[in-house]
Amino acid sequence: MGTAGAVTYRIALDPPVPRTHANELSTRVFFVSEAIRDFALVPSESPSASPSGGGSGGEAGIGAVRVTVDEGTDLDDLARKVRFVVANDVLRQRRPEPKVVWRGTADGTVRDVFDDLRGRGAVWEAGEGQIGVGEPVLSLMDRLDGRIRALVAAEFGAEEHRYPTLIPTSAMRRCGYLRSFPQLTMFVARLHGDVDTYRTFLDELAAGADPSGALRSHAGDADHCLPPTMCFHTYHRFADAPLPGGAATVTARGKSFRYEARYRRSLERLWDFTIREVVLLGPRDRVLADRRRLMERAWDLMDDLGLGGRCEVAGDPFFADAGTAERVWSQHLLELKYELRLPLDGDRDVAVASFNFHDRFFGESFGIGGADGPVHTSCAGFGLERLAYAFLCRHGADPARWPARVRKAVEG
Amino acid sequence: MTDAERETVRAFISRHVHDLKVGDDEDLFATGYVNSLFAVQLVMWIERTFDVPLEGTDLDFANIRSVSAIGAFVDRKREALAGGGGWTST
Repeated sequence: MGTAGAVTYRIALDPPVPRTHANELSTRVFFVSEAIRDFALVPSESPSASPSGGGSGGEAGIGAVRVTVDEGTDLDDLARKVRFVVANDVLRQRRPEPKVVWRGTADGTVRDVFDDLRGRGAVWEAGEGQIGVGEPVLSLMDRLDGRIRALVAAEFGAEEHRYPTLIPTSAMRRCGYLRSFPQLTMFVARLHGDVDTYRTFLDELAAGADPSGALRSHAGDADHCLPPTMCFHTYHRFADAPLPGGAATVTARGKSFRYEARYRRSLERLWDFTIREVVLLGPRDRVLADRRRLMERAWDLMDDLGLGGRCEVAGDPFFADAGTAERVWSQHLLELKYELRLPLDGDRDVAVASFNFHDRFFGESFGIGGADGPVHTSCAGFGLERLAYAFLCRHGADPARWPARVRKAVEG
Repeated sequence: MTDAERETVRAFISRHVHDLKVGDDEDLFATGYVNSLFAVQLVMWIERTFDVPLEGTDLDFANIRSVSAIGAFVDRKREALAGGGGWTST
């Protein structure tokens, strides 16, 4: 490999990882260690593991991960970490057959327009996983959001709310977010409140210290996080009380934050992005029926916007905890999560929305009372940067060339 | 599935729903007494107890959602397995 200060190393996987599980592996490798700069999955010639221990097993799978790492990395230790995640998160999963519940149709081809947008000055890479947007992305995001907001107001009488950005770490911990997604969590750091701390910190910086190191020595409590999505604010708001009337539908739009390591990419996967979220709280039958109806209205909207795509059963990127694999495959099995995916070019697509059912999990963890015990919840989140980006990949970066019907649909 | 086997299924489920009476056709996951991870335990238990593997298209909620559904699934699976190699599930 040509990267300065980097070496390439092959970590053998025995038994090989089945091909059906390759995506579960490839979405976790960068989270194994920040030392990994790049990786590739290497096919094996020998039969892969059969996760159930029964059946025929059989097909060739992934026999190794080829990693490019910083020079000086402890390779044995890195191999141990990779193999832990493979055994804990990946091999123990069972993968039901993919289940598509909707397919859209759309005219024409789809082409990645990120470079076009950059050329036009419509996107600006402010930092890793952080992108500033101007026209036409800015208005497009607002208009698409407007369509979703109007839809949920008309269809569900959703109440709009605006939340502060910060969310207490205690709220994130209460529902197990830290156990589920430690790799994504963004903590808000500050200095410990003490005049001597500030003075020492400034002296160290003036003497040329690295701000990260100085902060580590003088940090205050990690008592706030940046929210990974809006729904946690809603549960936090209704916590420890009976829900008035036993049901509610709340919508909010806000900045959301997930550390995506080297998976960050264009407007597809950001650390700092915008979500329009709808939370359904109430009796089980109602929140399930409303989730279904919301999905159907979202499919209608995709048709109206001429975007194509598909909606399918999906899972969350739980990571490295006891029971991680079981949680992913029970999500698939019980169809707790659906993703609406839109194409970006001939090969790639992106999830622009997810529709989740949590049973009583959040009702219980936040102590939100319903008509008969803790309330049931569903939520749907629309990633506005992703939705706008998929739209632009379909219809082009120049609004003057969008089909008249589509332009009208965007303007609602 | 024999009556005795069906009773085994009822007993296993009963242990996980705080001894609540669950009808044979009732959706286990709608009772509110099991969490989603119970689905995983149930799949593993069915495999172990009735010696039928659950793979690919078998891993469908419809096959495990009630006592009756589990009974029908195990019967179908046994029939397919008895039919010789290359079984397929419905």
